[in-house]
This record gives sequence, structure tokens and C-alpha cells, in this order.
Amino acid sequence: MAKKRVTSREFMLGALVLAFIVFLSLTTGFGSTSGIFSMMLDVSPTIVGAIAMSLIIFTGNIDISAGTIMGFVGFVAAVFAKAGYPFYVFVSAGVLTGMLLAGLNGWISVTFKVPSIVVTLAMNMVHIGFYVTFLPNAGWVLNLSDSFTFLGQGRFFGIVPFIFVIAIAVAALCIWIVKYTKFGKALYAVGGNRQAAIYAGISPDRTVLTVYLVEGLLLGIAGILKATTANRLMPSVFQGREMIFIAAAVVGGVNIMGGSGKVLGAVFGAVLVYLLSITMIYLGFQDYFQFALQGIIILIAVFITVTDFAPLRKRLKKAFAPKKAT
Amino acid sequence: MNGTTTTDSTQSRSVPRIKFTYQAALGLLLIALIVLFGILQPVFFHLNVLFDTTSIVGEIGIMALAMTFIITTGGIDLSVGYILQLSAIVFGAVLKSSGSLALAIVFSLAAGTACGFINGIIISKTKIPPLVTTLATMNLFRGVSFIIAGTSSYAGFPAGFKLISTYLVFNAIPVQFFYFIFLFVFFNLVYSRGSLGRSLKGIGFNEGVLIFSGIRTKRILLLIYTLCGLMCAIAALIYLGRLSAAKTSMGNDLNLQVITAVVLGGTSIMGGVGSMVGTFIGVLIIGVLRKGFTLVNFSGNIFNFTLGLMLIVALIVFAVIEERKKTSGRILK
Repeated sequence: MAKKRVTSREFMLGALVLAFIVFLSLTTGFGSTSGIFSMMLDVSPTIVGAIAMSLIIFTGNIDISAGTIMGFVGFVAAVFAKAGYPFYVFVSAGVLTGMLLAGLNGWISVTFKVPSIVVTLAMNMVHIGFYVTFLPNAGWVLNLSDSFTFLGQGRFFGIVPFIFVIAIAVAALCIWIVKYTKFGKALYAVGGNRQAAIYAGISPDRTVLTVYLVEGLLLGIAGILKATTANRLMPSVFQGREMIFIAAAVVGGVNIMGGSGKVLGAVFGAVLVYLLSITMIYLGFQDYFQFALQGIIILIAVFITVTDFAPLRKRLKKAFAPKKAT
Repeated sequence: MNGTTTTDSTQSRSVPRIKFTYQAALGLLLIALIVLFGILQPVFFHLNVLFDTTSIVGEIGIMALAMTFIITTGGIDLSVGYILQLSAIVFGAVLKSSGSLALAIVFSLAAGTACGFINGIIISKTKIPPLVTTLATMNLFRGVSFIIAGTSSYAGFPAGFKLISTYLVFNAIPVQFFYFIFLFVFFNLVYSRGSLGRSLKGIGFNEGVLIFSGIRTKRILLLIYTLCGLMCAIAALIYLGRLSAAKTSMGNDLNLQVITAVVLGGTSIMGGVGSMVGTFIGVLIIGVLRKGFTLVNFSGNIFNFTLGLMLIVALIVFAVIEERKKTSGRILK
């Protein structure tokens, strides 16, 4: 049992993350309090977003509009906070916005049997167009008060940000849900073998719709975690976030075709993607290398999870076996 | 899907009828849009303005033709806008450093083809789905063009080069429209008459059957993605002739326009069913929308917003038609 846990992919990823942090701390100024603090601050929304994305990917779907949904969540929450509502009001308003928008994606995809990627790709465009043209100040909200930012800027013991604790709590809850509830098992079943899931009494449509609502809830949390770190809200900060979530999920071993992967893997994936980008900055690469890096990471990670290496292993064995025999 | 062989006779009778109605509806939509914009802004009815609409269509149209091939096989290419961007940047960079126009054009076409080839080789040789492949390579190509150009832009192209997209045939019709028509005729012939077109639809319906019939589907996939890359490079050259500066911001929102044109034209996103004529009308609709929005003084964001909504509506309408076709087929049987 213990041995199995040590050789599992998630353990390896965790060890890699740890080694990465130690290495960075030894060679650069990353290990200082401010370095670790900013890591926890930056990585928290990504962790929650990556979990949201991996739940969707488990069922074989995807959400390209995740970034812009987060933007809407941040906007709604900021507007409510600006109007003087207490934090439980603006948080629930934000989360409801997320559920509504993600639910719409899921509903269109399920009811009309349209691939989710195309629906969410179009929705991404609709969202961007909507908040630039119809929202006041193109979605910018400035001068937010402490009642909004205490969540993102507050910290325990002067070092652990509130939002990091929230992200870890969300991650723990999601790991439990996916591992021990019927809903969690249904996600893998629908993504792995839709027909078998139907025979097992699971409704794929209902499962997919539910997972989109759950994703919306998580994106709502992620959006608020991200928005409350600054006292002004710029929607453009959220655009393109979905690529980081997808990269985090696939680096964490979530199979992009659906049916397999672990939430914990996605969490480590999120940290790893952040650490990689930090390393690029320390190495002196420009910002725009990140695009290319993200693309390459996704391709390599997907290639490894999707490819069946059994024939290759067999061929290698065959190639090397006779030499050993003689 | 299971009943395709048994209901062949009923399908071959019913499919063209429905296709006709869908495309006729699309044609009506095009005319309605022209009339609508004409009423809102009477300038729209001037022949010059109408002809000018076709100059916008050039680059989207050329990419949409290749995209129709890809979507028919059940795949998709999300990287087209960024292949265009990269080809344009390569053109600008080579022209600036060597000063030779011919060399710049060759390198630009080669860059586009290479991008398409990368997509094709990954999609045909590994099990990574086209969606994910092109989503990743999209970022890759974008990163590469940023690495080449940084934040600078390349301008100052020779006047002779600009003629490839500013020349007016009969002093009225932009020459791009003729490139588009010419390529359309070629693509349409391949698509509806050649064996390649038949194979493309076959891959979309059931790739396994084609493999067992001895058709090298992987090679066809590699070919069409590479072809798509080449078309993007050609579109980039035409686009550049009109813009006169290669920047890293160009081509950002072309992906969606191209996909919308193809899906609007009645090519099923699930693969297997498609129409080149539909794509042609879809491209014209997008051109009219874009020109009309500029004339009515709407911003580019409203255009994108409308386009996104249109794509979703087109997907839903097409899904409903498919569903109805399926049930009516069952009744006939």
C-alpha cells in the first residue's frame, strides 16, 4: 500500500514541486518570505480554476470560456462591493454569476448535442464582446475599498494568505467529492465510456449539466479569489486564464479525452505551471515566451497521457532481450 | 450513424432536399442583411461599397475553404489566425533583413506550410485530438511570432507587392475576390467531385471503415492540415498587401470568423456532412456583417459579440435540422 502510494503519479508530481521550490530557493531569492507569499497568492486562483477545469475534462468536455466567466464573476462581485453590500452578498452574487454562465454553456452543449469546445469558444467571444461594449467603463471597476480586498490581501500569521487557505480547503473538498461520492464516480464513468455509464444507470446529460454548474461555482470562487487581490478590477486580467487551467490539468495527469485523472494532480499541476513561468522570469526570458511554453507543455503532457506506450515497451523489450540472452 | 448503410437510398433522396433549403435560407439571410444595412446606411447600396465588401472577404474566405475540409473530417483547426500572424511576421522580418521580396514571400509561405505540417503530423501520428493539438499549437505559434517580432512591427513594403491586394479589376472589383473565386472553384471541384472529397466525408462519418477499405486516412489528414497552413500563409500575404504593416496583433480574432463561416455554411461540426457552397455564402455573410457594422459605426467588439452569438445559433439550428432529418429518415424506413 505504502509502496503504491510512493510510486503514484501524484506523489511524483508533489516531489517534483517540492524539489522545484527547494532548487529555486537555493539558486535565487525565491525562498524569501515575499517570494513564497506571492507564490501562494498567485497560485490560489489557479488551483481552484484548474480543479474546475479538470472536473469538466473528466467527463470528456472542456470550457474555453472559463477565463471570461471569471471576469464576469469579478465584475459582479466588485459592483456589489462598491455599492456597499457586505462580503457574503457579493461573494454569493459572484458565485451565482459563475454558475449561471457555466450552466448556460452546459445546457446548450447537452440539449443540442453540440461539442462543448465550440460552444464555449463562441461564448468566449460573446463574453469579451459583451463586457467591452455593454458594461460601464468596459468592465473596469476602480478604487475598491477594504471591505472587498480584505479577502485577497489578508493573511494568517503575516505570511499565509486567506485565499491560499480557501483554495486548499476547496481542493480538499473536491478530492473528497470526486473520490467518495456517486457524483464523482459518475464523472469518470461518463468520460470513460458513455454507453457503459448509461447501462449503469447514470444519465450522462444530467451529469454533464451538473458538472458545468459545479464548475461555475468553482470558477466563481476562483474569480473572487483573483479579483480581491487588487483594489481595482480589470477584465483583461482574466482573459486567457483557461489556457493555464488546461495546462495545469494536463500536466497533472488528467487525460484530455476524459475518464481518468486526479484532482490532486491538477493541484500540483497548477503549482508546477506557476513555478515554470517563475523560472522563465528568473532566467531572464521575456513575458511572451510564456505563450510558446504553455503550448509546448500542453502538447508534451497530452502526448504522454494519451499515447499507449505498451507496443513501444514490447518492441524495446524485443530489441534488447536477445542481446542479454547471448 | 449505425443505419447509414441500410438507409442509404432514403438518405440520398432526402439529403439534397434539406441541404438546398438550408442554403437557400442562408442566401436569403445574406440578401436580408444587405437590405437591412442598406436601409440603415443608404451608402451601402453603392456599387463601390458593395464591391469593397469583397476585399474584406478575401483572407477569411481562403482560410475557410481549407477549414471546410478539416471540419468535414470531424477535426478543427483553432490555430489558423495565429498561423496567419506568424507567416505575416516572417514575411516582414525576412523582407527587412534581406530586402528581397521573392525571398520574403517564399519564407512566409514556407512558414505557414510548416505550421500546418506540425499540426498535421501531431494529429495524424499521435492520438491527441485535433482540438487540443491546435489549441496548444495556437499558443506556440503566437509565442514564436512574439519572439521574432517582440513589440515592434514591420512596415514599408514595396509598392509592387501592395498591388496583390489593392489592384482593382475593371477599376471596381478588388482583385482578392478573384483569388477567392478561383480557389473556391478549385476546392469545390475537389470537394464534391474528386475521390479526396469523398474520403474527407468518410473520415468524418467513420474513419475505421475507410482504413479497412485501404484508404490512407492518416496521410489525408496530414495533407489537409498542411494545406490549411499554406492557405493561411496565402491569406497572410493578401492581408498584408491591404494593411501595409505586419504586427503581432493581427489575426487574433480570425479563428472564430473562419469557423463561424464554415459552420454557418452548413458543415456539421461533428464531421461527415458539409458544403463548399455553404461556406462561400457564409463567408459573404461575415463580410457583409463586418462592412455593415463599420458603416453603422459599431465597434469591432460588437461584431465579435454578434459573431459569437451567430455561431451558437447556427450550431443549434443545424443540430435541430440534423435531429429532424434523423427522425424523418426513421419514419420513411
